[in-house]
Amino acid sequence: MAQRLFIYPLYQIGNPQLRIFRPPFSLTLVRPGKEQPQDTVQFRIPMEMTKCDVRNYLEKIYNVPVGAVRTRIQYCTNKKRNHLNQKVKRPDYKVAYVQLAQQQTFEFPDIFTEKDVKSAEGSVEEMQEKFMEDEKQRQKPDLRRGGVTEWFGL
Amino acid sequence: MAATSVGRVLTLCRQFQNAFRISTSLAVQQSALTLTKSQSYLDRLTYPLLSSNWHCHVGQCRPLHTTISRRGLEEFFDIPENWGEATVKSGAPWTAKQLRTKSNEDLHKLWYVLLKEKNMLLTIEQESKRQRIQMPSPERLKKKLRQPLSLQIERSMKRLDTVVKEREDALRLLQTGQERARPGAWRKDIFGRVYWYRFREHALPWYMNKRYKRKRFYTPLFVTPHIRLRLEKHLRAKTRIQNKEREKQTVLQEKFPQIKAQSS
Repeated sequence: MAQRLFIYPLYQIGNPQLRIFRPPFSLTLVRPGKEQPQDTVQFRIPMEMTKCDVRNYLEKIYNVPVGAVRTRIQYCTNKKRNHLNQKVKRPDYKVAYVQLAQQQTFEFPDIFTEKDVKSAEGSVEEMQEKFMEDEKQRQKPDLRRGGVTEWFGL
Repeated sequence: MAATSVGRVLTLCRQFQNAFRISTSLAVQQSALTLTKSQSYLDRLTYPLLSSNWHCHVGQCRPLHTTISRRGLEEFFDIPENWGEATVKSGAPWTAKQLRTKSNEDLHKLWYVLLKEKNMLLTIEQESKRQRIQMPSPERLKKKLRQPLSLQIERSMKRLDTVVKEREDALRLLQTGQERARPGAWRKDIFGRVYWYRFREHALPWYMNKRYKRKRFYTPLFVTPHIRLRLEKHLRAKTRIQNKEREKQTVLQEKFPQIKAQSS
């Protein structure tokens, strides 16, 4: 992202609108740590971006109707030390809370739901799985003992 | 234009397929005519699909569709079929050679494709860190290169930048004869060293700019002894290297008289 370190050209009243082609900024959608309203989406953005930048970015590139944008800078610790007792800084980041316009809602989806994969019948994997399940069944204690371990006799 | 770019772009892997999707949806937005063009391309495209340089796993290639994909925040995540998968197939990064063959419009579109891909990967990475699950494609670590896909994308974007810069440089040289985009000058700093100072834009003239005047692009007189000492140090180091090289050559000649003396 810091490939093109450029200073923005000076703006004076009457100048044309500044346009950035091929923006080098990348946003990260994050799951909110605290409960947020239904229309609020939380992003981690680079430090150099502003609220107007975020609004234009989402509207032009992702075609998302943006209502309001609020940003804050999260300071991360410089207190941690590594094995050489040197202070290690965790990099700071900017967080943007974007409220969607037109009464749209967004819920952060669950990406990592494990799918139940059933292997083909007669294959090696299926036999292995069956074997593992049988082993587990044998390992389990007798339910009639009511949770009491086998250590106690009888 | 969009249709030809579609035809060229499609023969390669996943990134290309996204590009095709996005460019067709862009085309649909602009005019309905291009839709028919791209549909007629459907027949022609099945032929060049297999004749690409890289591996395009035919089973993995999703079928073409020209409907407008529901844009928006869904593009920050992978397609729903890939959620929960352990491995996700992906293609090779772009090389500068390939990028030079593309037109400016294609490069512009490709930049945004890569940008969206990068955002998607960053999102997934952050989510996996939050859920404390491994990201679903550390096998986007290439066996040869051992680089994560986000790095590949960064490299592609950097190469794209390089190509665009080359084109801009060429255009500027032809039109104006300027070698550099940003104006500058050779200036001496306080320590007597000469360097290329790149100009900045200011709202005031330099003689009214207090911060600029504090910088002092001249060498005061009391710095001259320091410059002399620095010069002596530099010359001493250079002579030391030369003497060492000469001694090494003499030693080699003694040991192996048959070697021809190297001209340094």
